[in-house]
Amino acid sequence: MIDVVGFVISWLTIFGIYSILSLSLNLESGTAGVTNFGKVVFYGAGAYIAATLTTYLTLILNGVDVTETPPYDVRGIVLLGELGSRNPLMSLGLLVLSLVVAFVIAGALGYLLSYPIIRVGPAFVGFTLLSFGELMRVFLQHYEPVGGNKGLMAIPTPFGWVAESRVREVAYLGLVMGVLATTYVVIHRLVNSPLGRTLRAVRDDEVAALCLGKHVPKIKAKVLFVGSGFAGVAGVLLAYYLTSVNPNMFVPAVTFNVWAMIILGGCGNLKGSLVGAAVVTFVDRVLTFVTPYLGVTVISPDYLRWVIVGLLIVVVLIVNPRGLLPEEPIKTPALEVVSEELGGGSG
Amino acid sequence: MVLEYQVMINTVQYAFFYLVFSIPLTLSYRTTKVINFAHANLITYGAYTAIFLHGVAGLNIMSLATVVAFLVTGSIAVLNNVLVFTPLQRKGSPPSIVMIASMGLWIVYKYLLYIATDIANYYTSRNFMSYGRITYLDIPRGVGPSQALVAGLAIALITVVSLYVLLERTKIGRAMRAVADNPLLAEISGIPRTLVVNLTWFVCGGIVGAGGVVWTSFSGATTPEVGDSMILQVFTVSFVGGLISLLRTGVGAVLIAAVENVGIALLNTYFGVPVSFKPFLTFTTLLAILIAFPPLGAGGGLPYRFLRRGRGSD
Amino acid sequence: MRAVLEVRDVAKYFGGVKALDGVSLEVPETGLVGLIGPNGSGKTTLFNVVTGFYVPDKGEVLLRESDDLVRIDGLNPNEVFKKGVVRTFQIPRLFNSLTVLENLLVTPLGQRGESLVRALLRGSWSGQERELARKAVELLKMFDMLHYANSKVSELSVAHIKMLETIRGLMTPAKLYLLDEPAAGVDYSTARKLFTYVRKLRDERGLTFLVIEHRLEILMEYVDYVYVLHNGKLLSEGKPQEVVSDPKVVEAYIGA
Repeated sequence: MIDVVGFVISWLTIFGIYSILSLSLNLESGTAGVTNFGKVVFYGAGAYIAATLTTYLTLILNGVDVTETPPYDVRGIVLLGELGSRNPLMSLGLLVLSLVVAFVIAGALGYLLSYPIIRVGPAFVGFTLLSFGELMRVFLQHYEPVGGNKGLMAIPTPFGWVAESRVREVAYLGLVMGVLATTYVVIHRLVNSPLGRTLRAVRDDEVAALCLGKHVPKIKAKVLFVGSGFAGVAGVLLAYYLTSVNPNMFVPAVTFNVWAMIILGGCGNLKGSLVGAAVVTFVDRVLTFVTPYLGVTVISPDYLRWVIVGLLIVVVLIVNPRGLLPEEPIKTPALEVVSEELGGGSG
Repeated sequence: MVLEYQVMINTVQYAFFYLVFSIPLTLSYRTTKVINFAHANLITYGAYTAIFLHGVAGLNIMSLATVVAFLVTGSIAVLNNVLVFTPLQRKGSPPSIVMIASMGLWIVYKYLLYIATDIANYYTSRNFMSYGRITYLDIPRGVGPSQALVAGLAIALITVVSLYVLLERTKIGRAMRAVADNPLLAEISGIPRTLVVNLTWFVCGGIVGAGGVVWTSFSGATTPEVGDSMILQVFTVSFVGGLISLLRTGVGAVLIAAVENVGIALLNTYFGVPVSFKPFLTFTTLLAILIAFPPLGAGGGLPYRFLRRGRGSD
Repeated sequence: MRAVLEVRDVAKYFGGVKALDGVSLEVPETGLVGLIGPNGSGKTTLFNVVTGFYVPDKGEVLLRESDDLVRIDGLNPNEVFKKGVVRTFQIPRLFNSLTVLENLLVTPLGQRGESLVRALLRGSWSGQERELARKAVELLKMFDMLHYANSKVSELSVAHIKMLETIRGLMTPAKLYLLDEPAAGVDYSTARKLFTYVRKLRDERGLTFLVIEHRLEILMEYVDYVYVLHNGKLLSEGKPQEVVSDPKVVEAYIGA
């Protein structure tokens, strides 16, 4: 018997996390034209920040000496399993702390990384961010305090103290949806404002924007701050959802998963990002659910999935580069002023 | 002493590889104005052409593998252009869209190869996910330098000399340069641009694939990630050449090979830095290049550099 | 009349090519000055030097700031704009995926809604936005383009695109407007219409223009002073009639 409710909950949770990523990438790349091929850097940074903060602090606040029993150690993992679900206040406090710290640090990382690259063309921007992601992975693989290749496990979840597992899942889904709604409102407001207009102008023609007094590098750095901050938040949600992180979760292909979403949904259209995320994560979840029933196959569904993602990007760009939902004009009070004039003039 | 000798050999060996992988990248960008991120696949597919020839067909003749790999990767590059890049450019897509499409291609090819290795493994029960060094029959071995060094020298020499002859001494080469300098003017003056562009892709793709074959005689364990693992270095080398100058790309190949191999040897000896941190040196070099000598106007950038000296700066 | 812009002995070399070789000129307040010359004579290079895209190899560019002339060479293009110099391009550079209205609204400086935090608080910028929109509407009316307000740039005709680029610059009160072939590629009567607008703006609002134009017969009707560039040097200057009858100018144009 297939667990339909479980499927829907897990799909919606993954959809929520990926939607935050796709919305923020849409702001950076769809609206402002910064070719961010390193989305996974900030996503991974957020996940590792949540994992590190939560595991270490849970142990420390419970009086465990982390120099002797670090969280990546087997004893640490066992202890985390025992301690993690005891104190609701601590669990929720760590969640809030992780979200805030991840936003600030991931955002700052985006802002700093923009310095060497924002003055050069999109190819260099994309490539540098892509490489940085790979380097971060190499670093994490060798950095013992965050578990090296094994990563961190048994991360205490915000709702670990809830006894019923279905209730826990629903509560977490509620949290993810809440964060998604906040992200949507913030990015929607940014896009539909004079700032959003300037971002689109920079995307369309940097030289002209420069000649109209816009400090193009600064504007792009700002956008990378916001976009990376939200990607960090998505990473936090992922770490708690999976309760473990390891370096091999954050391969460059993850970035292109998100790219596939915004290209499919329509670059520059926020609702499109949600649609794109829904479609891609649905296919992903179905494959994950179906795989165990298939048994051992010569062609792994996991590889097939990435081929589909890549083909999706290429085919949509060739057939319908505007995506399912094309970009809409920016909604500001200026539209009302003009429609009053046009209406008044004709009738 | 032994360490130093090995470091020097490695530097030379890697310089050959970076040269063979980067020169085509610079040449293809210069002629077609497409930043091809699927470049990494060409390296991998070249190497795996040799590996499949060896593992499935039992052939270990490098000259044959090189020719086959040249044809395979050259054709892939042409296919990319005909099916993806040209249609996008015809639609008037900006260069960054073409670049994103090449990213999509990169993922497709990457995981198609994984699928191919699984299938090959299913039929031969050999492990293609990490393939041991291939010893070739037609390359001198035994005494003196390794097969890879001999083959690397040969492929680098052949690449440089044949490209020089092609670009400087033939009509086709002049046509390629004309298209690179001014595509519109070239077309008006009767140069068959489509043909020239496709030919460029074929030659560039082919050279990279041939270089990939040499890799199989060098690396003790070739994986489907081989191209990806070198893409940082290959692109950085081309960026040293500003994506325009072949000569500076060549210099870049030597520079990056030296920075990596000598640098990591020093850091490893004196500070115990793990050898796998080698790419960090390349990345630092890349950032330094981008800050100190930003390739203005290349790859769709502003043809303008913000000045920091400034009266009334902001 | 005081000078708004003063270019003093400016030179710009590209390798061995002297794109500008010691050019000096002045644009007086409320002037409508033409800049002509054969292809490759350095007109656009001069615009690029004035607007900060190139740093001159020699010489100074000065702009009026109340009673003083201050140097603006060496500033970044966005800083030159803030000092009050607006330019258009020979090949129009509009924001193609934006509507006509949005294109105009990009221009004004000091928009509150451009700040990251204030953009989130609609109330903090919506008043200013309405004000700017009314200004845009007024300009669009003046150029008979109001009905295109919500059209995308990609749907406009060449003439409207050229006109829109000029109007976009007018959204901000500038000391000097540099127009690079504002009527290139449009038919004769539209070109005249455009120059009539420019003249009107000069006469009614006291704006200052420096205009590059290829079609001398149109330009000469509207401008009050002309500079002629040839091979990076100033060949001639004066009132339109004087310049047209200058044998050096005639020779340069026929020779080219």
